[in-house]
Amino acid sequence: MTKRSGKGLYAAALLLFLGGAGYLVFSGISESSVYFLNVSEALSLPGDKLHSARLFGTVRQDGLTRLGNSAGVRFQLEDKDNAGKALWVEYEGPVPDTFKAGAEVIVEGGIRGEKAFKAVTLMTKCPSKYQKENRI
Amino acid sequence: MIIYNFAAAVLYCGFFLALGAAFVQLAGLFSPAAPDAEHCGPPRRDLSPARLGAPCILALAGLLTLDALILFHAFAAQDFIVEYVAGYSDSTLPAAYRVTAFWAGQPGSLLFWAWAVSLSGALFVLLPTYKKLCVRTQAGFCLFFTGITAFFLLILAEWNNPFALLDFVPEDGRGLNPLLQNPGMVLHPPLLFLGYGGFVVPGCLALAQSAGAGKAGEPEIREAYWGDTARPFILAAWALLTAGIVLGAWWAYMELGWGGYWAWDPVENASLLPWLISSAYLHTSVIGRKRGKLRRTNVFLMCLTTVSAFFAAYLVRSGVVQSLHAFSDEGVGLPLLVFTLVFLYLAGAAALCTESKDTRPLEDLSSKEGLLLFVAWLLSAVAAVILIATLWPVIIDALIALSAHLPAFVAGRLPQTPMGLEASFYNRACLPLLALPALLLLVCPGRKWKLSPGASGFTRPRLFYAVLAAAAGLGTTLSFAGIQQPVALAAAACAAAGTAGILLHLFTGPRPASLPAAHGAHVGLLLMTLGVALSGPYQQKYTLTLGRGETGKAGQYRVTVRELYEGESRIGADGRPGYRFVEAELRIAADDGTPLGTLSPQRRRYAKFEQQSFAEAVTLFGPGNELYAVLLGIDEMKASLSFNVNPLVNWIWFGGILMCVFPVAGLVMKRAAGRPAGRGAPGGAREGGMGLKAGVSNHQGSCDEDDTGEAEETRETTVRT
Repeated sequence: MTKRSGKGLYAAALLLFLGGAGYLVFSGISESSVYFLNVSEALSLPGDKLHSARLFGTVRQDGLTRLGNSAGVRFQLEDKDNAGKALWVEYEGPVPDTFKAGAEVIVEGGIRGEKAFKAVTLMTKCPSKYQKENRI
Repeated sequence: MIIYNFAAAVLYCGFFLALGAAFVQLAGLFSPAAPDAEHCGPPRRDLSPARLGAPCILALAGLLTLDALILFHAFAAQDFIVEYVAGYSDSTLPAAYRVTAFWAGQPGSLLFWAWAVSLSGALFVLLPTYKKLCVRTQAGFCLFFTGITAFFLLILAEWNNPFALLDFVPEDGRGLNPLLQNPGMVLHPPLLFLGYGGFVVPGCLALAQSAGAGKAGEPEIREAYWGDTARPFILAAWALLTAGIVLGAWWAYMELGWGGYWAWDPVENASLLPWLISSAYLHTSVIGRKRGKLRRTNVFLMCLTTVSAFFAAYLVRSGVVQSLHAFSDEGVGLPLLVFTLVFLYLAGAAALCTESKDTRPLEDLSSKEGLLLFVAWLLSAVAAVILIATLWPVIIDALIALSAHLPAFVAGRLPQTPMGLEASFYNRACLPLLALPALLLLVCPGRKWKLSPGASGFTRPRLFYAVLAAAAGLGTTLSFAGIQQPVALAAAACAAAGTAGILLHLFTGPRPASLPAAHGAHVGLLLMTLGVALSGPYQQKYTLTLGRGETGKAGQYRVTVRELYEGESRIGADGRPGYRFVEAELRIAADDGTPLGTLSPQRRRYAKFEQQSFAEAVTLFGPGNELYAVLLGIDEMKASLSFNVNPLVNWIWFGGILMCVFPVAGLVMKRAAGRPAGRGAPGGAREGGMGLKAGVSNHQGSCDEDDTGEAEETRETTVRT
C-alpha cells in the first residue's frame, strides 16, 4: 500500500513539475518567437511582419559606413546565396571586432519606418567558423 | 612532406585496426565457443578475442598520439605546406598560440577529441579495475570503444584530414584569428574535448555491462558495478567539461568585448547538454550507489551523456542551425547524425536490458532520495528545453514542410516562414528552472535518506530553520536594496543562505561531513548562481567619449583619460610587427575621488588581419562590482569607450573553480585514504551523500594578466600620439 501511494505521489509530482516547465516553455515560445530569415525571405515579407526578426546575411562592400566614433554602422546586408538581394541595416552600439565587408553576420531587430532594418543586436561569426575564409 | 603522408596513412591504418577489432569482439561475443565468457579476474593465458581488445585500444592510442605529435610538430616548425597549419598560424604568432592553433579549426579539434577518447580508453584498460571485469564485459567494452574510435578515424581520414597538403609552399600562413589569441583559448577547447572524451569510457562500460555482456550485481559473478568502476572517469570528465564551459564563458567575457559571458548561442547550448545530463546522472548515481536503485535510469543517463557529446558535435559541425560560431559543414554532419541516432538506440536498448529485479521502491518524495531524483528531473528538463529551443527553427521548418499532411488545426497555426527563439526565451524558460537548485540546496544537505513519522526529517533541524530564516531575511534585504526581479532575488537569497548552510554543515557538525567534495562543489554552484543572478539582470552599461584630461562618470566610477597612445608589438628576434594598437590610459576613481586604479584598454590591428581592429577589454577587479572597459576607437583625439559595471561577476569564476576542484580533490583524497570508490565502501550508506556538481574558471584582474601568454615573445613599445 505504501509503495503504491509513494508511486502515485511521484507521478503527481512529476506531472506538476512537467506542467510548470511546460508553462514556462509555452509562454516563452509565445513571447520570444521571431522570424529567422535570410535576406531574400525578409524582402518577400510585408514590412509589418518584420517588426521583430533575426536576419542572416553577408555585409556588402558598397555603402558600408561607420557612424561617428565607432559607435555604430550602416550597411547593406546581402543574401548569402543571392547577392543581388540586399537590405539596408542600421546599428547603433559597439561594433564587433570581426565585422567587415564580406563577413557573415546575424542582426536582430526590426523594420522601422522606411526600408531600413534597425538592428538592436549585431553579431558576427565566431573565429572557429574561420575555416571557409582561411583557405589559401 | 613524407611525414604528413605517413600521418594521413596512420589515420587509415587506425581506422582499419579499430574496425577490425570491433568485428573481432562482435564475433567473439556471439561465438558459441566462448568458454570463459563469465570468467572474471586475472586473464587466462589464451588469445580469446576479448583479450585482444585491450592491446588494440592501446595501439589506437599510440597511433593517435603519433598523429597528434606530428601535427604539434607541424605547427611548432611552421610547416606551411600543411594546409591546416597554413590556415591557422603564421610566423608572427607567439609560441604559445602556435601550439594551441592545433585545435583552432575543425580537423585539428576533431583529432584532439579522438586523441582524448583514445587516451582515456588506454588509461582505463591499463587499470586493475578493467582487468577484474568479466571477459564478456571486457569484450563488450572493447567492441563499443573501438567502434567509436573507428568512427572518429573514418571522419578524420575521409572528410577532415588535418594532414592535407597544399600543392605549393606559401611564404607565410594566414594567421590565427586574434580573438583566439587569448589564454582562455589555450585551455577552453582542450578541456571541453577531454570532458567529452572522458565520458566515452563510462558510456561504453555501461553499455557493455548492461546489454547482457556482464551480470553485475549477481553475487556469483564478482564484477564491480560499472558506475563504481567508471566513477573516477565520470567525475574527471565532468570536472573537465565544467572547466571547459566556464573557461569558455570567461574567454567570451574577456575577449569578445560585449561585456557578457553567455549568449545562448546554439554552440554554447550544445556544450551544456552533456553537462546537464551528466549532472543529472551524478544525482541519480548517488541513489544507485548508496541505495541500489534506479539502475536503468543510470545506464540511460550515462549513455545519453556520451551520445549528447556527439550530438553537440553534430550541432556545431553540421550547419543544421545558424550559429555565431559553428563550423561549416564539410561532410561530417550526416555521419555524426547517423552515429548519434545509432548510439541513442543502443542507450535505450541497454537501459531496457538492465537487470532491475532487485529494485526497491523509492523513499518518500521529500526524503533525500526523492529530492535527488527531483534534481535529476530538473536538470533533464532544462536539457530538454534547451534542446527543443536550439532546434526550434529546424522543427518549425520540418513542420512547415509537412504541413500538407498535418491536421488542419495544427497546419493552420504554423507560420509561413521559418521562426526561431530569441535569447530572451532561455532567460524566461530556463533561468527559473536553473534557480531551483539554489532553493533545493537549502533543504538537501541535512535531509535524511529515510523519514520517520513525527520526525523533522533533518539531521540538524535547527540549522535548517536558521538557514531558511537567513534566506528570507536576505531576500527582504536585497529587495529593499533594489533587487526586484523575482527569479534573481530568490536565486541570490537562496544561494547566499545555502552557502552559509553548507559551510555550517561542513565545519560545525557533530562529525565531519561525509562528502566534503560534494559540499564544496555545491558551494561553487551556489556562488556561481549568486554571480549569474546579479550580474545578468543588474549589469549597467555606459558609453563615454572623452578627450585627454577629460573626466566622465560610469555608474559609481569617475573615469579620466590620462593619455592616449599608439604603438606596435614586435615578435621574436627578427622584430616583425605582430600588431599595431591604440590605447587609452584611464584613471579610475570612486565617486568621492578616491583613486581605484588604472585601466589601459587597447584596440589592435594584427598584421594578418589589417582590415579589422580588435578590442582588448580590461577590468578593474572587485569582489562586488567589476568595471569592464572596452576602447571602441580613437577619433580626433577623443577616445570612445564602453563600460559595463558587472555586479558579483567574479563569483561566477570563483564558483566555477570550486566546482571543478572539489570533485577531483575528493577522488584523490578517497584514494589517498585507501577507500575503494565502489558500493560497499566503508561508510557507503551514511548520511550526507549528495550528488556532485561542479566547474572551473579564471578571473581577470587586469589586462596585464590577459597578456601573460605573450609575455616572453612580445616586446611592446608605446609612443605618445
